[in-house]
Amino acid sequence: MTSSENSPVLNSNSGSSQGSFRPLPLLAAVVFPGLGHVLAGEVKRGIYIAAGVLGLFFGGMFIGGIDVVDSREDRVWFFGQALVGPLAFGVDWAHQNKFKVTDPATKALRSANPDEGRDAKGFAVQGGKPPNEKSIGKVNELGTLFATIAGMLNLIVILDAGFPSRRSASKSAGAQEPPKSS
Amino acid sequence: MQLLSSTTLTLAYTPFVDPIDAHRAWYWLLIPLALGIAVVYKAMRVIDLKNYPKQVIVMTAQVVGAMVMLGIGSFVLIQHIVPRILPPN
Repeated sequence: MTSSENSPVLNSNSGSSQGSFRPLPLLAAVVFPGLGHVLAGEVKRGIYIAAGVLGLFFGGMFIGGIDVVDSREDRVWFFGQALVGPLAFGVDWAHQNKFKVTDPATKALRSANPDEGRDAKGFAVQGGKPPNEKSIGKVNELGTLFATIAGMLNLIVILDAGFPSRRSASKSAGAQEPPKSS
Repeated sequence: MQLLSSTTLTLAYTPFVDPIDAHRAWYWLLIPLALGIAVVYKAMRVIDLKNYPKQVIVMTAQVVGAMVMLGIGSFVLIQHIVPRILPPN
């Protein structure tokens, strides 16, 4: 066992029953992917988790563009993406407020058409360059899927940070067993 | 003029804002998807992090292999088996 994974400060699992609850790592995991495990003393695990969750989330945005995170047009998918944490809400806020345009006729919020731009007040104007290109087809589907899976995996991460798992129990059991002599 | 048009083409795409053109090769995206899932899952499940890279690669290969086999199985079922079972119109 590495010392980084045996921090007595926030790891309430040391010397306690298997079912103990770690509220601070759980809250930290909600705030940022992997932060809960870092606070619990499992720094490397936290870094790997952050790399994986954020890699999937931003990978989805790389594939499908910012259009894949949309709480209005893809609400059900956003329920999964929101599990990544405040980062997903921030990306959605940027999408709704900085990239979408308001239709001058209907006053509805929508993505700009290919021949439209966005003025300073957020209204669609003819003849400009759209703030973003709306993704379609398999690229949109896969980008949305990447970001949603990131959120779903982060839910498991949050639960793992807050509630010690079999991994911790196995480590404790391994530490208690005497070494076998050959 | 050539420099201006190439600059315009370069600036037309913004990473993470605009989508990439992967419509013809979308199936290759299964590999980074499986890798991302394996990275997160094994980070929580592996007891000793010494084995972590190997377990991530193994799980990625398992997921990709299983999906390929499912695809082949679905193709054989739909294209060859079902037409033989169902009565002709």
